[in-house]
Amino acid sequence: MIPVSLPRWLGASGLFCLLATSPAAAQVAEVAIERALARELELSVGDTVRLGTAPDSMDRRAVVAAVYEPRPDPAEIAKRERHLRMHLPDLAALLGVPDQVDRLGVGLHPGVSADSAAAALNRTAFGFRAYPSSAIAAESSQTFLVVSRFHRAIAVITIVASAVFLLCIMLLKVEERRMDAAVMRFVGVRRRTIFGALLLEAALVAAVGSAAGTGLAFLAGAATNAYYRRFFDTALTFSQITPQIVLFSVLLSLALGLAAGGLASWRLVRTRPMVLWGRG
Amino acid sequence: MSEAGPVLLATALLKDYPMNGETVHALRGVSLRVHRGDYVAIAGPSGSGKSTLLQLIGGIDTPSSGSVEILGTRLESLKDRELTRLRLTRLGFIFQRFHLLPVLTARENVELPMAEAGLGGAERRARARELLAYVGLGGRADHRATQLSGGEMQRVAIARALANRPAVLLADEPTGELDAATGQEILDLFRRLNADGTTLVVVTHDQRLAAEAGRVIHMLDGRILGD
Repeated sequence: MIPVSLPRWLGASGLFCLLATSPAAAQVAEVAIERALARELELSVGDTVRLGTAPDSMDRRAVVAAVYEPRPDPAEIAKRERHLRMHLPDLAALLGVPDQVDRLGVGLHPGVSADSAAAALNRTAFGFRAYPSSAIAAESSQTFLVVSRFHRAIAVITIVASAVFLLCIMLLKVEERRMDAAVMRFVGVRRRTIFGALLLEAALVAAVGSAAGTGLAFLAGAATNAYYRRFFDTALTFSQITPQIVLFSVLLSLALGLAAGGLASWRLVRTRPMVLWGRG
Repeated sequence: MSEAGPVLLATALLKDYPMNGETVHALRGVSLRVHRGDYVAIAGPSGSGKSTLLQLIGGIDTPSSGSVEILGTRLESLKDRELTRLRLTRLGFIFQRFHLLPVLTARENVELPMAEAGLGGAERRARARELLAYVGLGGRADHRATQLSGGEMQRVAIARALANRPAVLLADEPTGELDAATGQEILDLFRRLNADGTTLVVVTHDQRLAAEAGRVIHMLDGRILGD
């Protein structure tokens, strides 16, 4: 079967489809329609539809032979198109141009190189150009690469802003401890001990923060996926948090927390106890 | 009550502060000798220099001139690390506002100086419980500092100050934040401490506390008026 695209509102270009409820007749073409289209037009297997290339020429009847779930494709999701699949002779007859094909896919036996197959076809054929699927995928992924870079830039800005924010929080938290630090110094607690205690606290804050942040990220990811899957009616994954991302985030958070806590604590323990006490 | 050889010896202490472009003379040549087992009250109005004197003899501030010796060790000759060690092992501090660490329990607050001094866990837990029982808080050992009353917090602070068996206990207005009845309990505790051999130097406005002490030093304008 050949996939045929239909605009979602089924009437602007290419192919038109009209729901018919009469039972399937002999000799009519068979089509497979994607699940979303079947749901929208309330079609099921065995129903008959009329097809045509314009609203006033829908004279071809076809019976719904199958309802299929298309493989999720991020490149297609925003187009809001609906598809059905027809046998090539039926499509050619419908279009009235039997020898005209825009695109076709070639299946290869396992082990056959797509690159060499494409090269062989391009050497021997005339009037079309063959591409390996990886090249088409790379071409159609350009938008996603740009989006991905944009996300990365946002992430870097977020991390920098978070680091500054974290440093400020740590400075404030440590400043709150001036009196405690002064008293500890008065009763004979060493700078090293105070520094270690504050650093440990910073590490705990960072660890708790990264655990909370990871949990929040999973919740936000689940909500994002649920919303957009419903919105686009697709099984695509829009937000994915991999173990590598979690590990990177936790390590980065710990590093930033320790750096910020260490800087603030170092500043505190280098200050004379009488100054911390407010009498210096 | 005094024995030969002072526990604490301060000689000709001067302390000047710069303030608003002028020099404030907080201490003007103060000398003090405290022997083992003494109970000394330093009294005087605000700004007389009594707290400054306590800070200098406690090694938490440095004099402009003069010297302080604790058990024969001159504080001016010590490096910061050595001075910190001396404060840990030879001196005990009690503050007007208690200054316990709020996230720790009473027992943990008392254990803190012992942990810093390197005492083992079991030993310091046992001593902390013993000290808390001594100050009458045996049943409150596992309460956080924030769950204690003012009088109880000051008792914990006293237990903390006693943790490493200091040569001298230094207290700055220890009853200043307490009501009369609670303040009296602290006075009773000080009397008992001194009777058990603890050397006490207490800065106070409290006439009752001054009356309890075996020796009262009156200060005014950075000088000792009478001893």
